[in-house]
Amino acid sequence: MGTDKYILQIEELSKSYDKKIFALKDFSYKLESGKICAVVGESGSGKSTLLKLIAGLERSDQGQINMGDQILCNDQIHLSPQKRSVGLVFQDFALFPHLRVKENIAFGLAPGSHSKIEQMLKAVRLEGYEDRFPSELSGGQEQRVAIARSLVREPDLLLLDEPFSNLDTNLKSELRHEIKRLIKDLGLSMIFITHDIYDAMDIADEIIFLKEGKIVRQSAITDIFKAVKDKYVKENMEELKRSAETILSMIPK
Amino acid sequence: MVTMGILLGIPLFSIGINLFDGVGDMWNHILEYFLLEYISNSVYLLLGTGIICSILGVSTAWIVSKYDFKYRKLISWLLYMPLAIPSYIVAYTYVGLFGNGGSLILVLQQLGFELQKIEFMNTPGLIWVLSISLYPYVYASLRAMFSNYPHALRDAAYLLGANENKYFFKVALPMAYPALIASLFLVFMEVLNDYGAAKYFGINTFTTGIFRTWTALEDLSSAIYLSAILLVLVFALMRLNRWMRSRRSYAFKMKEISDKGDRRIKLEGRRKYVAYFILSIPILFGLVLPLGQLMHWASLNMEALYSSELWEVAFQSVTLASTAAILILLFALVLLYLSRWNYIKSLNFFSRIPAIGYVLPGAIIGIGIIRSSQEIINFFQDQLGLEVGYLFYGSSFILVYAYIFRFMAVAYNPIEASSLKLGKGLSESSYLLGANRWRTMLKIDFPLIKPVILSTFLLVFIDLMKELPLTLILKPYNLNTLALNAYAYADDERLVEAAWPALLLVAMIGLLMIILNRRTKMNSN
Repeated sequence: MGTDKYILQIEELSKSYDKKIFALKDFSYKLESGKICAVVGESGSGKSTLLKLIAGLERSDQGQINMGDQILCNDQIHLSPQKRSVGLVFQDFALFPHLRVKENIAFGLAPGSHSKIEQMLKAVRLEGYEDRFPSELSGGQEQRVAIARSLVREPDLLLLDEPFSNLDTNLKSELRHEIKRLIKDLGLSMIFITHDIYDAMDIADEIIFLKEGKIVRQSAITDIFKAVKDKYVKENMEELKRSAETILSMIPK
Repeated sequence: MVTMGILLGIPLFSIGINLFDGVGDMWNHILEYFLLEYISNSVYLLLGTGIICSILGVSTAWIVSKYDFKYRKLISWLLYMPLAIPSYIVAYTYVGLFGNGGSLILVLQQLGFELQKIEFMNTPGLIWVLSISLYPYVYASLRAMFSNYPHALRDAAYLLGANENKYFFKVALPMAYPALIASLFLVFMEVLNDYGAAKYFGINTFTTGIFRTWTALEDLSSAIYLSAILLVLVFALMRLNRWMRSRRSYAFKMKEISDKGDRRIKLEGRRKYVAYFILSIPILFGLVLPLGQLMHWASLNMEALYSSELWEVAFQSVTLASTAAILILLFALVLLYLSRWNYIKSLNFFSRIPAIGYVLPGAIIGIGIIRSSQEIINFFQDQLGLEVGYLFYGSSFILVYAYIFRFMAVAYNPIEASSLKLGKGLSESSYLLGANRWRTMLKIDFPLIKPVILSTFLLVFIDLMKELPLTLILKPYNLNTLALNAYAYADDERLVEAAWPALLLVAMIGLLMIILNRRTKMNSN
């Protein structure tokens, strides 16, 4: 799988919950191996549905998802979440509250994988916290455990659902860079959803704007200001420009 | 508040003080022949009911909260209903069903089974009867727990490679341990409190032993010693409960939002039939069969339905239970507000004394009150020359007092929880707007906690209607309740005559449980 150019290929994926309004409609997308993609959109734009479909937590109405040369789902096939090489970090982290940090990380591993757990604790800088319960951790530490728990199973693709929404500003910035470092060090691919354009600007290689279940803009992060047509994307870009200009005007020359 | 706490705690203090009077004449006899049996039987009953209630309660709660199938809502409601039939009534019906010539034995014989009877009047039989009556405590608690798990937890487990079994045993069940332990504690207290079923099956337990020592052996001092030993067992269980829960209290940080939408797994094929089979066991043995047997007996004695005796007893039951329930609610509210208004927080300990009553078996409270009331009567007679004995033994005064102590926690805890949920903000806003404490209580607090007060009244009323051991010890000679009536007939082996009071009691409790269920849903909405 590692030799393929694209780790993930989605073709004409649709999902509707009530057979009338589509959470996702004819969604097609390809993610290159080793890249980070940010999915930006308002509430109800279909961001979470996209992650759930990739993870196998929801069934699509039509379309196909491939990971490397493996079909994850199409009209006939639905691979269970257990059989997909996908890690998902939930918005609320979904740590098992009755298990210690090391037990949470070991949950998806075969018994006796101590060295892997130690390596992962080191990678997410949580050495010394292994015997704590999730309730004894800060928000940032909880998130690192959730990431470690997903990464320790060595997935080919990591998905993150609004990973920074519960964190304060300082911690946000620190964690954004830490996650980027981890993903790049481990040579993984990642899709994360956010409603905050700054998150996307900071760590993503490419960006998708979703609106009513459809892609309204897809570009490399470096081309984000080029040839913007959609109103929603335009508004976002203008807001971004205004903030940048305000900040620049405050910097003494 | 301090006075109320001490006054309501008299039965408990009485046992402690009277221990210093030494043992009674029959103590050596009890020690030699019965004590070991009381202890071992009580321990067997606790272990047996603990295991069976856990299996029945956890499995049924898991199936109805996590899976979808036809009649799920009806079944999940029926699973609560065995709680409407007091265990002593289940015990009589089992003899009618499975004893010599029992209704179910006859059916089985007609189906070709060569059976004379299935023996239930032994310790395993009592364990089954108590378990099938009390498992709804575990079911109710675990169902609430399982239903509130965020779906993200299950999704996370699946994405980490877990299958349904691993998710249940490694995540869902361990997370429910605090709820399981708390509900098993309630089951254990009910087991230790049971008198009717154990007495009817002839199993010697602490509670039957206390009664026997006091009534048949006429040795109140030894009965107090037995009560003290039982009290040690109760407090040991209380400590164990607290210790186990403190070690396993998990903060739930996840947002409710991740739980939106119904994501129960649809059961199909063989798994569906296995689920129906598991769910049918407690409903059949805890509700359908006992109720069917009661109805069968009642149909043999239709004239009792038109007798004035039955309805007089029912009237006395309702009057006694409603009077006591209102008083219990009043005392709970007074205690709650006194402790809220009190600035010396260390004194709030006294407001918790009456709450201990709920974990004390009725027999202990009864013996404690008998002992202390004798001393109070003597005090009034010797010191003040007043005859107050009639007040204690000729009226329901002492019984209602005992009810208040026994069931105070049933009223106090939910009202306190609801009041804490409201927080101090509203009261403080009211004070800042110029209202005094009374006006705030009447105009702000009461209207907001009114739904909980009404639900609590029903809850206390149900407990009072079912109550047997305390009523048996402390009732005045002219008082009769449906519970007492059913027990007395059954104890005389007049099972057919026991059917109507039992059926009426079950019908009333069942109806109140339905109302309570609706009110709880309304309150939560």
